[in-house]
Amino acid sequence: MKFTYFLLFILSFSQFTWSQTKVEVEKRIKKNEVPIEVLNWFKDAYEDISRVKWFYQTENDEVSYEAKLKHKKRKHSVEINPDGNIINIEVTVNFDDIESIAKQQIETYFKNTYSKFKIKKTQIQYLGSNDDLEDMIDENEMSEDITTNYEIEFYGKNKKGKELWEGLFDSKGELINRRKIKIKSTDILDY
Amino acid sequence: MRNHLFLLITIALVCQKQFAQDNRFISGFFPEASLSYKLNKTYSVTHKIESQNGVYDNQSSLNDEWKYKHRQTDLQTFLGRRLTPFIKVDIGYQYRMQDGENTNRTIQQISILQRESNLRLGHRIRTDQTFFKNAAPLWRVRYRLKSQIPLQGFEVDPGEKYLSFSNEIIYMYQSAEDDIENRLTGSLGFYFNDKNKLEIGLDYRTDDYLVENRFRHRLWFKVGFYKSL
Repeated sequence: MKFTYFLLFILSFSQFTWSQTKVEVEKRIKKNEVPIEVLNWFKDAYEDISRVKWFYQTENDEVSYEAKLKHKKRKHSVEINPDGNIINIEVTVNFDDIESIAKQQIETYFKNTYSKFKIKKTQIQYLGSNDDLEDMIDENEMSEDITTNYEIEFYGKNKKGKELWEGLFDSKGELINRRKIKIKSTDILDY
Repeated sequence: MRNHLFLLITIALVCQKQFAQDNRFISGFFPEASLSYKLNKTYSVTHKIESQNGVYDNQSSLNDEWKYKHRQTDLQTFLGRRLTPFIKVDIGYQYRMQDGENTNRTIQQISILQRESNLRLGHRIRTDQTFFKNAAPLWRVRYRLKSQIPLQGFEVDPGEKYLSFSNEIIYMYQSAEDDIENRLTGSLGFYFNDKNKLEIGLDYRTDDYLVENRFRHRLWFKVGFYKSL
């Protein structure tokens, strides 16, 4: 027992070392912390879904809520404004499952830009009005007013270097923008 | 925070009760610190110091189980080359200071990062060779899997905490004798920012699996600081 008290004593010091200077990016929250405006749309669209992980996000002073869930065996991530407007819905899919026109165009881009590439993650991004997006989820009705983009995380190697990218492509597979994904340091995993 | 403390203490208690009686059981402090910096876009250098300081040994003598003993201090330097954002290879050298003979060790490793949607896994395959004045070299092959699990949100951000677990299996060979060692760790990580991280936890090591009547347990209270420039 002596040993345990000794450990307890040492561990208690660790409590003091933690400062409160925190720049928050996203945190997990409980359902009852989600504003009713955000929840209302969500309940209508995803009627039968009970397992939802809610997150509160702040980025460049902008606040949003994000719901992560599984719907029809696919991972959905729904970003919602505090006033209840949907920012976007992202659905994780296999790259091979996306529309063939877009797929071909994106593959051409990869082949022309990189000597070696590997797709790490593919998400279909839906943008539109709350009503149209609700119909898309619960009625399977795809309004023409919904914008479909593809957000693809990929590794690309060319003369300029070997980087991990996040590229946003439109419904025809044209690149809209891309940004480098900065991988956090790995020293704790390597040494 | 409290829950994590209790978890760690429970593990400590279980380990102590379970194993302290029959086999050799050693425990103590294990502070470590690493400093990494880039030489250019591809190459980086990491220096690491780690020190095992025993405070408990159930076989040290009959009535003198609690006693401070410096067991060893290791100085390591690695030269790393990043092959892709996910794969890094390192060659390293270690100088060990301990009672009796100080030793030299050469190290080679490959580390692979696996990113999952809500955690990171690091695979590390390492080989090392330890050289002694009057004995054959000790050869070892090791594999470690370490996780970094954010406690807030789906990614560790500055100012947040994470949990880290790892297990490493080591196979060693020296003068026609071989053995296996296992190292299991659990720690609470403080991610101040990407250049400063602190881990506090327990490191439970068992070895002499293949040597008859000589099983050994070591439980270390570990504090590690990881600094990069």
